[in-house]
Amino acid sequence: MLVAILRAHEVSIFTNPSTANISQGLTSALLEQADWRGRVPGDVAVLEMDEGHGALVMQGVDARVVALTNVMVDQIDRFHDSEMVAGMLARIAARAGEAVVLNADDAYLERLAARVAPGVAVRRFGVSAEVLAAAPRGLGNTETSEARLDPAEGVVVARVDGASAVLLDGGVERPIGLPARGIHYAVDAAAAYATARAVLGERFSPETASAALSSIPPVFGRGERVRIREQDVDFVLVQNPASYQLNIDAIPAGTEQILFAIGSDVRDPSYFWPVDASSLGRVSIVSGSKAAEAALMLAYDGVAIDRVEPELGRALDDFLAAPAPGNGVKTIVFTADSMRRTRAHLGLTEAE
Amino acid sequence: MTFTIVSLLPGTQNTNGDAQNATVLETRAEWAGIAARTVLVERASELPGEIDAIVLGSGSDASLERSRDALRTMHDELRRWGTEGIPILAVGTGWELLSWGVEHRDGSSLEGLGILPGRAVPRDGRVTGDIVVSTPRFGQLVGFENHARAYVGAEASPLGRLRAGEGNGRDSGQEGVIMGSVIGTHLHGPVLAKNPAFADALLRIMAERRGIGYAPGERAVTVDAYAAAARAAQLRAAGLDVESSA
Repeated sequence: MLVAILRAHEVSIFTNPSTANISQGLTSALLEQADWRGRVPGDVAVLEMDEGHGALVMQGVDARVVALTNVMVDQIDRFHDSEMVAGMLARIAARAGEAVVLNADDAYLERLAARVAPGVAVRRFGVSAEVLAAAPRGLGNTETSEARLDPAEGVVVARVDGASAVLLDGGVERPIGLPARGIHYAVDAAAAYATARAVLGERFSPETASAALSSIPPVFGRGERVRIREQDVDFVLVQNPASYQLNIDAIPAGTEQILFAIGSDVRDPSYFWPVDASSLGRVSIVSGSKAAEAALMLAYDGVAIDRVEPELGRALDDFLAAPAPGNGVKTIVFTADSMRRTRAHLGLTEAE
Repeated sequence: MTFTIVSLLPGTQNTNGDAQNATVLETRAEWAGIAARTVLVERASELPGEIDAIVLGSGSDASLERSRDALRTMHDELRRWGTEGIPILAVGTGWELLSWGVEHRDGSSLEGLGILPGRAVPRDGRVTGDIVVSTPRFGQLVGFENHARAYVGAEASPLGRLRAGEGNGRDSGQEGVIMGSVIGTHLHGPVLAKNPAFADALLRIMAERRGIGYAPGERAVTVDAYAAAARAAQLRAAGLDVESSA
């Protein structure tokens, strides 16, 4: 989203591929694009990274602006607990020379704001009380701030309605379209908008930014609708407990045919258990290398399970061969590993 | 008659879904035809008058003191219920808070409630991985551990003997602690779902105290097959014989 806004402002960008594994992605992007003197094209480099790689990579990088989206425990084997994640983010934030942009609804990040070096500005984004009240289970932050962001202090998500939202920026309402339904996309949009403003300064145009956000195509894998074997199928990506809850809540009630797959990327699914998946009602097939764990979790959420088939290829073939549902669209809920295997099995190309 | 299961401090002590062990007890009771409810308790004033089981999960180290202070306001009740034989399942830092206390690497320490014997002490590095424990009362337990402290003082009454994993550490070969029906363990997350025999043992204790019987419901047969498959996968990962897990 940030890259789209900056490009719309006719800024040339160097960026890493969209995966969060920046060490490999950044190296290959640098090798591909650098000239013989090691210089990289572009006016602005936008680097997306998770806290683990970020803490490492940023040891050698000085950034003008650092944007921090939230503190979630999404790779528990690697990071163990949210305190450690917050510590890594503090080290990344310390590399910012001009501004730190942070999510005001995340209490961990708000505590970091107090420790930003003198001379470095703190910019904020957040949601309104109305938006928070409409999130059935909160925003998914490890700890949500007590108070909502004052619109005078930053960019506020005033309202969200399906795949559209209204940002409040300096007292002006900016209607935007989102790449998919969901409050978390509106929060991401506000983060990108506030960060672009911090990067561009005087050159920032709210109209250009809003238009750029509205023209982003549906996000790969997360709420994506694809055409496979002459039928529509919805893909829903689950990356962490927060996105799991939000994406499950966004699946229309009464969706009849669901395939649910957890793969080897989830070492131990315990941290998914606080998520309430009861709204799924019934799942046609549970699959992936962690199929038994997934079935156990769904069963205690009161979800009926027609079949457990750990072999994902077979599960996909049978799921797609089944008659069309009387209600809703066939929906595949998967973790990143199962998503990759699904796309490979179905011959779908990987998006950027 | 309705089973009342208390989920203690779900706000701070539920990093790994440990609080869902309350859901597992509630759901299995209902499958067995026994009405049950889970009550979320953050402070002493929210404690129900009559209870059948307590679940206390694991939290982050930053919330240790806050959680301990909250637990202290219910100290007398917890001690009495433990003495009366009400099952109390405490996981990770929740267990540590019910112990004599937690020692930190910098030499500082946090006093616990002293309901379970022993204390948590620093260990060299965090342990993260599969853990398998043979217990005399609950059969073989399979789970996942993720902790940065060892535990000393449980040698006389451990929950069980390690078959894989680090458990209490310090070369004890042991995991957890048990006093009556008060249990502390490193097995995090939904340990009662993964180990239905453990859940049913606690439910039998609960039923017996109420003068009723307990037998797993029909739905449990299907769901416990998922648990068996998940256990088998973890046993294989831990390099153990799957057949011996029955």
